[in-house]
Amino acid sequence: MNRSLSWSGIGLWAAAGVWILALAGGFTALLAYKSTPGVAAAAPTRWPQASQIEPARDRATLVMFAHPRCSCTRASIHELGQLLARVTHPPRVIVAFTLPGGVGKDWRETDLWRSAEAIPGVRAVADRGSREANLFGSRTSGTTLLYDAAGRLEFSGGITSLRDHEGDSLGQERLVALLTGHEADKPTSPVFGCELGDDPKEERP
Amino acid sequence: MSEIQEDRATDAILARANARFDKWLHERRVATDRLFAWVLVGQWLFGIGLALFVSPYTWSGKVQSIHAHVWLASFLGAAIISLPLLLIWMRPGTAVTRHVVGLGQMLASALLIHLTGGRIETHFHVFVSLALIAFYLDWRVLVTATLTVVADHLVLGLVLPESVYGIANPEWWRFLEHASWVTFLIAVLFYSCATTIKTWLGFSQEVVLLEALAERQLDAKS
Repeated sequence: MNRSLSWSGIGLWAAAGVWILALAGGFTALLAYKSTPGVAAAAPTRWPQASQIEPARDRATLVMFAHPRCSCTRASIHELGQLLARVTHPPRVIVAFTLPGGVGKDWRETDLWRSAEAIPGVRAVADRGSREANLFGSRTSGTTLLYDAAGRLEFSGGITSLRDHEGDSLGQERLVALLTGHEADKPTSPVFGCELGDDPKEERP
Repeated sequence: MSEIQEDRATDAILARANARFDKWLHERRVATDRLFAWVLVGQWLFGIGLALFVSPYTWSGKVQSIHAHVWLASFLGAAIISLPLLLIWMRPGTAVTRHVVGLGQMLASALLIHLTGGRIETHFHVFVSLALIAFYLDWRVLVTATLTVVADHLVLGLVLPESVYGIANPEWWRFLEHASWVTFLIAVLFYSCATTIKTWLGFSQEVVLLEALAERQLDAKS
């Protein structure tokens, strides 16, 4: 009886040890996944002339590049709405959704697209073959660029603190500072999201 | 009846009342263990369903692959509930089971918060979990659960402060702002547990006293 009890006790201790190791490994993997940023944008310092997106001349222009099916970008779109609610004089805001070559109409009918369009003052546009994303050097969904009225780059980065994570973030704080006439401590922040994809060469005729 | 006999009868009634109270408390804790077995499994399945519904794939251009959330909900979720379920099966009603269940429940909250992209609404799960843990009528388990939340905040606050507070260098008191709400709830639950236990002790004494009186009347009749 005592022997069987002690064996079950040892078994439970061993199970507890394995449990702790499994949880430590699992949560470490979770945090590593959530905190690893995507490729930072190599955005041009001046608004590219070849862009088909029309910038505002009387105020700043904010462009977000997004993958229409990237669930991680849901948090970026949500935070974009939060950000715009915090500024008195909002910039012109465009969300450019990447449409890789050969995809169907359903790529334009995603919840992300609808969410972006539902934010007051936001215009969602299709970016076929990532043409605009490539012009603006953006490779990661959620990349947000701010250009001033003169077409100078003021900010480049993401507006979430982690991958697919709502809440305040450094990027959002920096953008709010710039949009309310203050200085930002840094003009960049990490961006979290899916790869926009499409090799630029692939789409060229 | 002599004074000594009366004292002995009172002691016997008190001992019987305490035994009855212990039985009720044990039954309540075993029932709560069983409840948590369902809750833990239900949350695990909910987490998998959520990951499959909200974020089934990650993308690179046109190429899709299974999203990390699906794997984490399945395997990390299973890992979280495995030891609590094993203990509920092997050692129901024991203190170690209650503490491991409390720990597992709070880790399930943390996983769900991550799976829903840190949505503020999912943070309510922490408060619901603490209320469920209070069913055990054991303030020590509430302490274990609270310490799990505190440890989660401390570790994340040190490693990834932005993930908790949204900024890299939060004010020192930001931690207190979060902790104060949990402390408020815990204080209410402590009070609730203490008053319930006090009521049950009173009930057990009244029930046993009534039983003793009934037995005495039966003895007198026979």
